[in-house]
Amino acid sequence: MLKGYQVVLRDINQDDLSMLRDWRNSAEVSRYMLSQEQITAEQQLAWFNKIQRDESQQHWIIEYKQQAIGSINIKANTVGKKLTEAKELEVGLYIADNRYRGNIVAFAPTLLVNDYCFNQLGVEALIAVVKTDNQAALSYNQKLGYQLQKQQDNLQHIRLNQANYEQATSTIKQLLSRPSKH
Amino acid sequence: MSNKHKLYQAFATGLGIELDSVKDELAYNSIPQWDSTAHMILIAEIENQFDVMLDTDDIIDLSSVQKAQSILGKYDVSFN
Repeated sequence: MLKGYQVVLRDINQDDLSMLRDWRNSAEVSRYMLSQEQITAEQQLAWFNKIQRDESQQHWIIEYKQQAIGSINIKANTVGKKLTEAKELEVGLYIADNRYRGNIVAFAPTLLVNDYCFNQLGVEALIAVVKTDNQAALSYNQKLGYQLQKQQDNLQHIRLNQANYEQATSTIKQLLSRPSKH
Repeated sequence: MSNKHKLYQAFATGLGIELDSVKDELAYNSIPQWDSTAHMILIAEIENQFDVMLDTDDIIDLSSVQKAQSILGKYDVSFN
């Protein structure tokens, strides 16, 4: 479990699968996924069983004020590498709750995961592949300090090193680290 | 200067928009200028104008000009 910036990231358990599948299959979320294929319960259960023992990826449920609002994951960029061995990781995120999509709290889970990747796992860089029509995600990642590596067809490959990350996020980290109760 | 005018001025400065464009109904993400970066600048402007320091919950909840008034009410800033 990771905790900070007003959110909690907890491991996914089997009771979450129905909710996660509804989120993932919703038009709002799936339109920006690389695959728009609808996920069946059987496919998802197989995926869930796989990630339980797969050391190359980790998935969390994002909770804000004790409510699940989305999901975030990290994956090793090199086949066969464990998270603890990889030099580069890919971060995947979606905020399913409309109230918090586009809100600054949407940065909180990513800040928490990025801190974990750079400070605890010791990765050199984070990478992401984003559809060029997903302006919200491109803008979001730009604000985290990501820089364009290459553009291929309708996909942008972007990369973030720790120095750029720390520089880009110092203000938002301060705002999200203040006391949470007046 | 009334508190309402100070608040409107803070929004105009923080979001980089004309004072005439600020109204109570103006909401987060309803105009391109009010994105997450502008939101942080706006928070700083409001804090300077009213000499307050907002809690993180309030920074997250500050989603419209109207909402800003109810939040600032908790910090003893009156808009009556």
